[in-house]
Amino acid sequence: MAEPILVVEELQKSYGDNHAVRGVSFRVARGEIFGLLGPNGAGKTTTISMLTGLFPPDAGTVTVDGLDLKTQLAAVKAKLGLVPQELALYPTLSARQNLTFFGKIYGLRGKQLSNRVKEVLEMIGLTDKADKAIETYSGGMKRRVNIGAGLLHKPEILFLDEPTVGVDPQSRNAIFENVEMLNREGMTVIYTTHYMEEAQRLCHRVGIIDTGKVIALDTPSALIRSLGGGIIFLGVAEEQAEALAEQVTQLPAVKAATRTDGQIKIETHRVQEGLMGALDLANRLDVRLTSLEILEPNLESVFLHLTGKKLRQ
Amino acid sequence: MNALDVAWKDIQILLKDRGQVILLFVLPIVFVMAFSAALSASANSQPAIDVPVVNLDAGGEKSQNLVDRLNADQGLKTQAYGDEAQAEADLKDEKIKLALVIPAGFTSDIEAGQVAKLRLVRGPAASESEITTVRLVAEGIAADLSLETQLEAGLSQMGAMMGDAPAATQAFTVERIKAQAESQYERAKTDPLLAVEARWPAALTGGKEEFEPSSFSMAGFAILFAFMGAQVTAASIHDEKKLGTFRRLQTSPLSRFELMVGKMLPNFVIALVQVAIIFGLSVVLLPLMNLGAPSLGSDPLALVVVTVVLAVCSMGLGVFIAALARTESQVGGIATVLLWVSGMVGGAFLPAFLLGNFLNTIGKVVPHYWALQAYNDLLIRGKGLVDVLPAVGILAGFALLFLVVGLAKFRFD
Repeated sequence: MAEPILVVEELQKSYGDNHAVRGVSFRVARGEIFGLLGPNGAGKTTTISMLTGLFPPDAGTVTVDGLDLKTQLAAVKAKLGLVPQELALYPTLSARQNLTFFGKIYGLRGKQLSNRVKEVLEMIGLTDKADKAIETYSGGMKRRVNIGAGLLHKPEILFLDEPTVGVDPQSRNAIFENVEMLNREGMTVIYTTHYMEEAQRLCHRVGIIDTGKVIALDTPSALIRSLGGGIIFLGVAEEQAEALAEQVTQLPAVKAATRTDGQIKIETHRVQEGLMGALDLANRLDVRLTSLEILEPNLESVFLHLTGKKLRQ
Repeated sequence: MNALDVAWKDIQILLKDRGQVILLFVLPIVFVMAFSAALSASANSQPAIDVPVVNLDAGGEKSQNLVDRLNADQGLKTQAYGDEAQAEADLKDEKIKLALVIPAGFTSDIEAGQVAKLRLVRGPAASESEITTVRLVAEGIAADLSLETQLEAGLSQMGAMMGDAPAATQAFTVERIKAQAESQYERAKTDPLLAVEARWPAALTGGKEEFEPSSFSMAGFAILFAFMGAQVTAASIHDEKKLGTFRRLQTSPLSRFELMVGKMLPNFVIALVQVAIIFGLSVVLLPLMNLGAPSLGSDPLALVVVTVVLAVCSMGLGVFIAALARTESQVGGIATVLLWVSGMVGGAFLPAFLLGNFLNTIGKVVPHYWALQAYNDLLIRGKGLVDVLPAVGILAGFALLFLVVGLAKFRFD
């Protein structure tokens, strides 16, 4: 890995008996787009909140560009930009007033501030409507201002927390293009999402997070490769499942077959060949099939494989 | 400087909210005008009541005397009606509210020591208070007339009895006795031995004879609405938490101290501007509208000190409410109790002596009471900075209490 700009070691956070984050560790290289992928409630936002200094972790350390978050909080915060999940803007103020305010908070003043506001307005495509109250904007336009407010001070690391929730496809594409453009300019991006296709498209590396722990971390292609050729779920009668699972495991295109709740989960090297073999075996053993589901190899199926849950549950 | 940026942003948001601007800057002036008018009306005499008089004892000395004395009362204004039927028709049509009928033979009946009955006829438009006022005044004058006549008759009778005695032994003639009695009546009217003086209580005026009720209203509503800024602060903090901007600001280099100062500062500035506007407009507008001429006292420095401490107290109360309330409706509920009810028991609406002992005592546990004491000392009682220091000290104590408890209990998440 290239020089890490962010080092997270054994981060923990609990709220009473609820262990929201349980020993999260990862490193992010300078100039990388790093994804934190996980379902709602997995601990992504809590992790982001600790990384951006919103509240301290119960345990663990965070180092940003060599600076310790705990002891050099103000210096670290100046290097970070956060685009929160909610539209954290002032609805009765215009886009220009919102951006100007957030620019001032990050220390921009005078000509530098007005130039930067102008640049960001151009980047998010709202120069024409810059002086209208943002409460009159569409959801997608508000999202773009929300992102713009996190960019004014040109942060070294930009945290984007579920930035496309509730956004129309056109605005979503515009957001992707903005993120890719910022990254090309050298900005490191930490991107949390529960949309696997976003993580797959944007992220150089992805950490899959569930119940407060990072359960897998690699490039999207490596994670998908680890799954093999895809997963097949065959619904069968309970009394016939054992025999079929044993036989299916022997097929050359199959990595493993396990029984789960009236189904046989078949992990394959090559999904088409594995499916044909499994159906042939079921026919020969006179096993009655009740359902069939094929998961193409992607991050969604990786998550399902790792947790037994779907990302959008 | 970041705190100033937060404060300026909040002021921009506030100025875009017409409802808040009206609540904080327009409504106080309306209240001051309305209550000044009400207090002035109770302090000064009411407009004279028109009393149509049908005098059926035309030319009679006593009836004319009665009409003259009715007119002499500042609360009544007589209007001669020659025809009783016309008066009754006008009463029915509500052209007049009431009519006083002096019966024929009124003078002769009184002089003869017989009962003479005045008739007060009321129409549907007459209020109970108008009828009662006219009845009491007419009864009083009639009783005086009757007494004077009876005394004069008695003295005349005594004089006549003495008339039979030798001239050398007569100390007083009938004419001298009557002249002396009439002289005493006149003196009693112009320089009575027993007089009633209506005045405001010394607790309010500090013994000063000149009291301007509009000064009281001006101070009371300046205090009430300066504290309203606390609700705006609490609601603004709650809104920021709901919007997520509070969280966003905490991830910026802005420290929590700067953030809180930035959130409180507009409250302080607004309270100062409110008091300046309320006092300034009251002093200019109320005299033009004939609603009184409020005073700003004689110690401008003391006025500034009281106003600054009031603004700090309002600022502290804003954080205190924000710390106590967890939802938007709780902000409204707590603010209603702490601001409106405290304003009421603290005497901001009505002078404390009108609230009764119980409320007057309770009032001492709210900051409004002490702010009002300080302002009243300056504006009404003509005192100075040293005199108001105890009240200002207690107000500052409230400010400190609100700030310490509010900041200690405040949740940033």
